[in-house]
Amino acid sequence: MHPTIRLVNRNLTISLNPGFLVWQVIFPIVYIFVAGFAYTALIKSVPFGNVDLDYPAFIASGMIGFNIMNSTLVSGIIIWNDRRHGMFEQILVGPFTRSNYILSNVYTIAIVGLISAALITAIGYPLFFESVEFNLFTIPFMVFASIVGSILFGSIASIISTRLKSSEGFNVIINTVFLFFAFVSTAFYPAQGAPEPLATGFYLNPLTYLVDIIRAGIFGTFNEFVMLEMLVLVGVAAVLFVVAIKLLTKLDL
Amino acid sequence: MLSISARSLFKSYGSLVAVNGIDLDVKSGHVFGFLGPNGAGKSTTMKLLTTLIPPTSGTIEILGINTIKQPLEVRKKIGVVIQQPSYEPNLSVEKSLEKYGMMWNIEKKTRQEKAEELIDIFDLQEIRKRKNEDLSIGQRRRVQVAREFMHKMDLLFLDEPTVGLDPSARRSLLDFLKNKAKTGLTIFYTTHVLTEAEYLCDDIAVINKGKILAVDTPDQLKNTFGQEKTIKIHLLYRHDKITELLSGIADCKIDFNTGTDIIIQSSKSELVLSQVLQILIENNIAIDDLSAMPTTLEEIFLKMVKDTNAPNN
Repeated sequence: MHPTIRLVNRNLTISLNPGFLVWQVIFPIVYIFVAGFAYTALIKSVPFGNVDLDYPAFIASGMIGFNIMNSTLVSGIIIWNDRRHGMFEQILVGPFTRSNYILSNVYTIAIVGLISAALITAIGYPLFFESVEFNLFTIPFMVFASIVGSILFGSIASIISTRLKSSEGFNVIINTVFLFFAFVSTAFYPAQGAPEPLATGFYLNPLTYLVDIIRAGIFGTFNEFVMLEMLVLVGVAAVLFVVAIKLLTKLDL
Repeated sequence: MLSISARSLFKSYGSLVAVNGIDLDVKSGHVFGFLGPNGAGKSTTMKLLTTLIPPTSGTIEILGINTIKQPLEVRKKIGVVIQQPSYEPNLSVEKSLEKYGMMWNIEKKTRQEKAEELIDIFDLQEIRKRKNEDLSIGQRRRVQVAREFMHKMDLLFLDEPTVGLDPSARRSLLDFLKNKAKTGLTIFYTTHVLTEAEYLCDDIAVINKGKILAVDTPDQLKNTFGQEKTIKIHLLYRHDKITELLSGIADCKIDFNTGTDIIIQSSKSELVLSQVLQILIENNIAIDDLSAMPTTLEEIFLKMVKDTNAPNN
């Protein structure tokens, strides 16, 4: 087995524990089925492209992107725990290179992101199946968004984990950053109708682009703006990925 | 044949020189002890030899392979137990062993058998199902050392492996390593516990301030640097002027004096002892205990380090 794949195997074993999987499922279920239906009295429908979505369908599709972002925390946690518990050094005195280690994190992020997206799509399907447009054209967009989004947010988590030395600092910073991303985005509410500064803030947040592309994939609402969002997402992911690689390569032992 | 060969090894971090021109040869099948005080350069040397960090200058060959040109090839043939505890917190002991074997590309059946064997050898039966995060420091250390034997290796680096182990576990590990060395495994071993080095090692190097002070067998080190015997006297009552009383005796170094415990080192121990006793009797100083013994490796080590740390050195 290739050394990178062996490390992916190891990464998935240590990160995909029952607690993590339950958190990945329970949290979105609460949001989708509790908040989704609770807010229906206030929000009758949400215009999205050429369709009007009921709020549970809107939030269910947003939760896919949210969960992809959340699940990529695993990358930062793996790097952080490896440094803290000596496994980073232990792996690098083993039959591996730094490139193996870094790539294994990338593959782990992508796999976890895809699993997370698939899980929430399956959970949320009853809510948006009436409007769904899954086909051979739309599904690749969702896969694209899952992988690129995973790499983007995984890179952010990796960058944070390489810069911080205390566990308190790591937990505070990463939770604050990801909380900001979650709420200043179109995952839970549409940009239309939001005050202009907030709407501007939404589009400075990569989660908005991720969620919009996923919704376009689910509901078949492609347009030029979605294509632009895909380009922006790829560009930002590439830059953050390069920064993360550079920092991981220079990580002191 | 040499398992490790290093020449003119330097490692500096800016103005700080951590390793200052080391030459090192470790014969195959030997247990090589590497001793030094904190900050001497032991860990940096270990990191250089295990390819974790590149040298500033110098050459290193491990098992005949150049570490700078082919670091991955070197790492495929060595085992390393690092000083820092290394473990996956939420894996059980048996899962840790199994996963580590997978990481080393050991076949599933082989690694299951090996894991069982190591659980027996390292007395991990009672804790095999427990998660690493729930183990004590000593237990984690045993697992960390056991884990390294999941894969085959020609050379094993151990950086203070007995830290946190109780005396019984420590002795078991040392005996295990001794037996492994007899099968041809070369071991590079750093420790602060001099009695361990004396018990286990075929050769010992003493390092301080990035330089190797001496390399030899434990017995030869004692013969070369420990010609003096150590006389220990425990007085019944404290006497503050004891140093003054004994100062006139030739070839008599009082290394430690609390007023009741006196340690004297001398190459003419019988003559010095008789002179010391005469002075104590003349001054009615009561003796509680008295002994004369060959200088230990620890005392040689401390003396070497003290001499190299002296301001005019």
